[in-house]
Amino acid sequence: MNALVRRIAPVALVATGACFATQSDVRVLQTDVQTLRTERHRQDSLMLQRFDELMASLRTTNDTVRALSDRVTRLQGDVRGDLFQMNQQLLQIQELTGQSQRRLQELRSSLEARQQDAAPVTPPMPPSQTPRDSAAAPGAQLPAAATPSGPPAGSPGPNQLFQSSLDQLRRGSPGSARRGFEELLRLYPTSELAGEAQFYIGEALAGEGNLAAADTAYGTVVARYSESPRAPTALYKRALLLQQRGNIAMARTALNELVRRYPRSDEAQLARERLRTMQ
Amino acid sequence: MTLRLHTVLAALAAVALALPLAAQDTTARGVRIGLTYQPGTRPGVVVLPVNGANGDSIRMILQRDLDFGDRVEIVGREGSTVADVARQQGGTMNYPLWRALGALAIVQATATASGVRVAVHDVAATGILNARDFTLPTPGLSAGWRMALHGVSDEIERWITGTRGAAQTRVAFVRGGRIHIVDSDGYGERAVSEQGTALSPAWHPSGRWIAYSAFGPRGTQIIVRDLQSGGTRVASPRNGLNITPEFSPDGSLLVWGFGEESGTDLVAAPYPGGGDPRRITVGRGSDNVSPSFSPDGRRLAFTSSRAGHPEIYTADVDGANVELLTTYLAGDQSYRSNPAWSPDGRVVAFQSQVAGRFQIMTISLRDRGMKQLTSEGINEDPAWAPDGRHLVFTSSRTGTKQLFVLDAETGRARQLTRAGGARLAAWSRVLDRTP
Repeated sequence: MNALVRRIAPVALVATGACFATQSDVRVLQTDVQTLRTERHRQDSLMLQRFDELMASLRTTNDTVRALSDRVTRLQGDVRGDLFQMNQQLLQIQELTGQSQRRLQELRSSLEARQQDAAPVTPPMPPSQTPRDSAAAPGAQLPAAATPSGPPAGSPGPNQLFQSSLDQLRRGSPGSARRGFEELLRLYPTSELAGEAQFYIGEALAGEGNLAAADTAYGTVVARYSESPRAPTALYKRALLLQQRGNIAMARTALNELVRRYPRSDEAQLARERLRTMQ
Repeated sequence: MTLRLHTVLAALAAVALALPLAAQDTTARGVRIGLTYQPGTRPGVVVLPVNGANGDSIRMILQRDLDFGDRVEIVGREGSTVADVARQQGGTMNYPLWRALGALAIVQATATASGVRVAVHDVAATGILNARDFTLPTPGLSAGWRMALHGVSDEIERWITGTRGAAQTRVAFVRGGRIHIVDSDGYGERAVSEQGTALSPAWHPSGRWIAYSAFGPRGTQIIVRDLQSGGTRVASPRNGLNITPEFSPDGSLLVWGFGEESGTDLVAAPYPGGGDPRRITVGRGSDNVSPSFSPDGRRLAFTSSRAGHPEIYTADVDGANVELLTTYLAGDQSYRSNPAWSPDGRVVAFQSQVAGRFQIMTISLRDRGMKQLTSEGINEDPAWAPDGRHLVFTSSRTGTKQLFVLDAETGRARQLTRAGGARLAAWSRVLDRTP
């Protein structure tokens, strides 16, 4: 029995001692854990506070950005609206200008007709009396009609010729119209209507079915009257004629030239679409 | 001997006097086309009672068509006097009597097994001006039979006046969101589209198809309806706003207004082939709609708001040569729209606001002279008959919107439809191959 006690006693002593050490350690550990928890909680609260602050800041920034975006959108809308209105006003001015020009054209034409009616009629020259004969006669003067510097007296003015030829074209007489426009170019080659007349020669030829000659006539408008408002139309018409005649490569070249030289014209817009679909 | 000499001299003198008289051109006082009649007056025409099956209907239709053509004056419209006179004459034609009754031509029709035999008598020349057998489809009084008989009327009008009539035509229009068609004399009205939102019908020149716009699952589309089979197909490949279709005079092109965010522009696609539509107008944000072809198919009249408010413009079919046709006045709030190019190519009809109400007007393409054709009620949406003389339009003069036909030369108007709500009319070409 004593032997058993002797054996168990040291073990019990060791076990009890160890037990006391563990309790102390546990207390320390508990304190540490509590401290850590408190610290962590504090850190979490701090982070949460900072996160809240960050979120608030983000919201503010977002609101500011949104407000800015709204302002920009409004501004864009205003600018677009202003641009549209400006475009409309420009178009109105263009229309009014075009209309005024047409009226002026008609007015000039009627003025020329009245002047022509009022002008004294030059008696016709006898068939045998050529200008050379009259020049040879002493004291004889060449009538105004024969001078190379201007049209014959009594001949219609450029506006009158233009108007009557255009009437012929509208009435469906392209042959008569073409002859009128050609006469205009012959008598008044430097007239401001020359570009228009050349364009309508192309239109008349196209109306007569002479597509090759129409092509050349349109080409002349672009080459000789490139500043005429009819130049982009002529180039567009030329491209369409080339396409119609199966010359796609040349048609593309003409359309590209139109877009390059007259990018803001209506015909350039149409040309861009044609180029997209042309095969 | 002396007596014989005197007789010969008298005969020679008579011949000598008669020669200058005979040489005088008596037609100088009138116009020689088919008949001789005074300028500014309409030749009187008698349509005799018609023997045979449906004789009364044949006579009534011929008489009404000639009357609606506004080129002749029907004599003895009610028929009792004419019938009495004709009965008294038996088989012979008493030309002096007809002349005394004011007739310059007599239409004598007889129903035959295959149709109708027609002879037109020239009262002045006391003989037959023209005669022909016409075949009419069976059964009698059917829609096809009536349309063929309208063709007979048109041919009679051509014999008498030199100009073909426009009776053998139909008018398409909208009522209650459906497309209807009606004969030019107001008979045979029927709906050809389902209940829906159909608008702006346009005839194909063959008379077989009608194009119109209708709201569907892909937006407002252009629908083409085959009047023979009743089938339809969508002719506008792009989703969005597709409105106011119109066929070219040769039927090979379909043009309509296609709307996007950047405005509405006219586009064209081959018909019936279809394909990607090609832009015609460059509206730059404006609306360009309601195209109408010139008779040669080379130009278009259309409504555009490019200068602020709607006005009528013309342009080449390829989009070039855009011109303002009507007069634009800065600050003017009234506007002009819905052009219709006349078949003779000389004028464009359109609707214009006059004192706040739409009225039908025409503008000359030569001198831009304008003429107001209507003044009673609100009158809009003009469309020309193929004779280039008559216009169909929508009018509120009876209290509800109805279609009326106007003779642009005399101003005579007649009501075409009777039920309310008819509008947006389109007049077909001559339907000599009726679908």
